[in-house]
Amino acid sequence: MASSTAISIESLHKHYGDVYALRGLDLSVDRGEIFGFLGPNGAGKTTTLRCMLDLIRPSSGEINVLGMNPQHDPVWVRSRTGYLPGELNLDGNLTGAGALRYFNQLRGGTANTERISELAERLEVDLSQPIKNLSHGNKQKIGLIQALMHEPELLMLDEPTTGLDPLIQRELLRILQESRQAGQTVFFSSHIISVVERIATRVGIIRNGRLIEVAETKDLLNRAVRRATILFREPVDSALFEGLPGVRVLSPDSGRTLLLQVMGDMDGLIKRLAEHPVIEIETERPSLEEIFMTYYSTSESEV
Amino acid sequence: MKPEFTSTLRKQRGQIIGWGLALAGLGLLLVPFYKSIFNESAQMIELLKSYPEEFTAFFGDFTSMSTPQGFLDIEFFSFTPLLLGIFAALAGSGLIVTDEESGRLDLIASQPLSRVQFFLSRGMAFVITATAICMLGWLGMVIPLGNSGMDITPGQLALPFIPLLAQVLLYGSLALLLSLLLPSRRLAASVTGLVIVADFFVEGFSNIITDLKPFAKFLPSHYYQGGYAMDGLAVVPVLSFLGIAAIFSLLALWRYQRRDIRVGGEGGWGFRLRRKPALSEPAA
Repeated sequence: MASSTAISIESLHKHYGDVYALRGLDLSVDRGEIFGFLGPNGAGKTTTLRCMLDLIRPSSGEINVLGMNPQHDPVWVRSRTGYLPGELNLDGNLTGAGALRYFNQLRGGTANTERISELAERLEVDLSQPIKNLSHGNKQKIGLIQALMHEPELLMLDEPTTGLDPLIQRELLRILQESRQAGQTVFFSSHIISVVERIATRVGIIRNGRLIEVAETKDLLNRAVRRATILFREPVDSALFEGLPGVRVLSPDSGRTLLLQVMGDMDGLIKRLAEHPVIEIETERPSLEEIFMTYYSTSESEV
Repeated sequence: MKPEFTSTLRKQRGQIIGWGLALAGLGLLLVPFYKSIFNESAQMIELLKSYPEEFTAFFGDFTSMSTPQGFLDIEFFSFTPLLLGIFAALAGSGLIVTDEESGRLDLIASQPLSRVQFFLSRGMAFVITATAICMLGWLGMVIPLGNSGMDITPGQLALPFIPLLAQVLLYGSLALLLSLLLPSRRLAASVTGLVIVADFFVEGFSNIITDLKPFAKFLPSHYYQGGYAMDGLAVVPVLSFLGIAAIFSLLALWRYQRRDIRVGGEGGWGFRLRRKPALSEPAA
């Protein structure tokens, strides 16, 4: 029976001479999830992905992809994965269709042409054009079709939205959601937080070759501090809200408007608010970007 | 393996056409000349005797110009190892590393194809390309052979191409090995080119500078038969060339299996000069 873990990485180190790319990375990704690997340029995202496909060899540590160590049987792993490199380069003399035919032949013809046509249509790319005539975004689409066309068990996408316009980005995220619904696992790296926020079920934040946080996206967002502004029909004593779990009163005066800082769930606050006539509640949820920046600033001294 | 082999061969068709047609064109031009050279061989030999010794040292015995073997050796086979050496250095060094340096190899190597399969596919395509170039060169000589007055058969004419091909494969495998050891394709091609040129000149000068003779013994050109292979192919040097090429190829494969696929200069030797920090950089 297949393991429920798609990717398992333990204490992964990779260095190039005295340059350390990964410093003991531990990571586990379940089958059927969309995992967003978040970090700025040079954090070690691409190195991790390339180690998983045996394109580069770890200095130390253990990797298992779909239950197999990629160094023991890289062909087995690659036949079950679809990969989009971060810096995509294709043979410019081939047409889009020619490039996809070549990659499909290398895969033993496992992709069906209907799937390729469907993806090309959804991503709005003309496969008859020579690649050298295509824009960066359109080349990226060819790379994406290449990764998706054979419907692999695991998708490894390095910065998949690079060069895509917002409409195509949205369509791509829809395709990835569908892939997940079909049972595929999606592991993608990005430094664009809004993309990760929109589709990832879980997020891993990497900094200087170490994973500094892994959490469900919604938990990460909920765990963060929010600001709440409540407008009451009549003045309310702010002291009534002090002592509520996770709540801090920012406007200590009594009045119709109450400004609070809330951490975690809002259940206790809402129950207390229900005792008073409320006209309006406004909450400001921080974006993943703000949370991400928090992790980066707070862990600075640790790394 | 087949898709990678055919794809590589397709990419190298320009090399086959370019180098092959150039050699064929040279053959088509040279062979019909033999009749007039033969008719005026006495005057030609007298003229060539006045040439400096250094000149004849590189191109062989000019007194044999009146024989098809001697004529083709001087006019064609004496310098084709140097000429095709350029092809071997460029094609061999670029066989894998061109795609690596351009960033294409990352995606190709992520497909379900082992490094051995990939290496063999490309290696076989290189062998076929080199063979096709030599065959086109041979064809260029065979076409005008009937009216050339040369008393040789197409089969005999094919014989000098065998040591030529073996030498090309030797240089190509050296370039391939160096490309996987050195930090860049350009450096690997340059070093191979240097070896080829040194081989040609040391062997040539060893005919007039006797001190070079002991060194020349270690060079491929020393054992290269050229046009005289038509009189009987020396099999041992050819097999030796092929054997050394096989060893270089195996070493290259061993290296390729163990190294990282590079992107953006990863794994280079990193001969970086320590630079002074810019004013805007924070202090360490």
